[in-house]
Amino acid sequence: MSENKMIYLQPTPVRIWHWLNALGIVTLCITGIQIRFPEFMAIFGSYKTAIMLHNTAGIVVSLSFSLWFFYYKMSGKLAKIYVPKPDELKYGLVRQAFFYFFRYFRGDPSPHHATPDNKFNPMQKSAYLAIMFVLMPLVALTGILLMNVTPLRELILLSGGLKILVAVHFLLACSLGAFLFTHVYLATLGRTPTAYIKPMWSGWEETEGDEAEVHH
Amino acid sequence: MKETENLLLLIAGITLLAVAAAHAGEEGYSYGSIEGKSDTCLACHRDGKAVAPRYRIDTGQYNHTSHARIGCAACHDGISPGHPADRIVSKKTSCNQCHRDTAEEYGRSKHAGKASCGDCHNPHQVSAPEEISGQEMNRMCASCHSKEAMEARHAAWLPQADLHLGMLPCVTCHTASENYLITLHIIKRDGDNPYGEFRLATFAELDKLAEGKDIRSLIDTNSDTYISLEELRQFNQKQNQRLLRLQGVMVPEQVTHDFKALESRWNCTFCHASGPKAMQRSTLALPERNGSFTRIDVEKGAVLEALGSTPDFYMTGATRNATLNKVGLAIIAGGLVMPVGHGFLRFVTRKNRKERSHRHE
Repeated sequence: MSENKMIYLQPTPVRIWHWLNALGIVTLCITGIQIRFPEFMAIFGSYKTAIMLHNTAGIVVSLSFSLWFFYYKMSGKLAKIYVPKPDELKYGLVRQAFFYFFRYFRGDPSPHHATPDNKFNPMQKSAYLAIMFVLMPLVALTGILLMNVTPLRELILLSGGLKILVAVHFLLACSLGAFLFTHVYLATLGRTPTAYIKPMWSGWEETEGDEAEVHH
Repeated sequence: MKETENLLLLIAGITLLAVAAAHAGEEGYSYGSIEGKSDTCLACHRDGKAVAPRYRIDTGQYNHTSHARIGCAACHDGISPGHPADRIVSKKTSCNQCHRDTAEEYGRSKHAGKASCGDCHNPHQVSAPEEISGQEMNRMCASCHSKEAMEARHAAWLPQADLHLGMLPCVTCHTASENYLITLHIIKRDGDNPYGEFRLATFAELDKLAEGKDIRSLIDTNSDTYISLEELRQFNQKQNQRLLRLQGVMVPEQVTHDFKALESRWNCTFCHASGPKAMQRSTLALPERNGSFTRIDVEKGAVLEALGSTPDFYMTGATRNATLNKVGLAIIAGGLVMPVGHGFLRFVTRKNRKERSHRHE
């Protein structure tokens, strides 16, 4: 029997950021549905309430995103954690996909072992790179423009008009919503369904002794 | 001040014309033509040198009005035989002699006693509601209600109050009209400056751009007095897009004079919900030489199209595009493929992982 080790994987600022984002993004999704389809959904009461909540959650998530960016930038870990290395793109992606779609079903362990400096597997890195550096900034930017149509009209015209902006915002939001389902599901693929979720709450991840790189 | 006076008079004119139009619809009733009805007066009053500026009548605008068809004397009924030498100013007939219903409705409104018909309408420049732009309607209101004060007041409860007040005529909400339509206007950058402010394009500006053709040809390319979605798309794709754009304004079908917001207007979803008839119907308002506007019917659903027809007109909830909804749904469904497909296989192969777990223990 191998001895399990605990590693401190998620620092407190990252955990606060994650759950703030989670609350904000879920609020944005639900209020977004109400704003676009008011006759089918009124979970937050009046349309005005949904708009106010959507705007507030949008500002909170945008600020939280900025804090996340500066936190990692200042800690010098941004590229290390989020940008896949050439080897990871060349072999790591295939190896990880092979695990998810074949070896996992056989009961084999994941080829990637999370450490504080290398938290994500190559697939996660690629997905988060697209999400955190493309989708999130774009959805926030289009949202900020849509919240300030009159003062930022010239920028809106430069983007091609209000409808293009709304279409981009909507499709980006759908993409992030789609990712949310995959994200939550993948979070349950640890040794136990909550093995990956607990560290995001407590900071500590329990790993099997033969898999862990112990950090003191 | 003069502009204010003119604009206020314009509203009065609309009132007059609205009642006139109602009467005109009655069988056998006609004002006849303008011929010979005002010629004697206009001989002097059309000339800015012969009369003081405030008494000058712009014949281009006046002859377009229904008032021109009843003639000056129908209202100015107290002209002395010695006019103009005796300088006795003619008496004026009050508006409510013809516009009784409107006057009664207005008399019951909060505005009664605070502004007379002439404070908003110029009877010599009246246009039918469909002949004036939303901006012109708002300028009448702005002569008393300052933009800043109104924005601050509405912002207390209305999200993006500046946008609402900038894009809607006040009477869109402050009306008893149940139905709406979308009016499209051509707006143009000030002074051809690519960074100038957008203002309503005038007839002269569009006439210059049309290069000798009818200004309709700028958008109604096949001259069938009907604007198709394709013609709107072509207009939006033209090179002069930096200078010219289409602006959509939601206007009431009828103009009323009680200026009271109906209860339904306090509910955002009255406008911001998909499928109201108003969103389907739109017209293009083109300026005329005399300062009025001609409306041309636009193909149904122009403001509901995803991008091309009216790129600057979007109302959350109301003008959402069905195709984009389907694309969005497909993206979200794509996100469910992994949890559902992988989850199913995970369930089927759960024994494999249990066995591995036991081996480790």
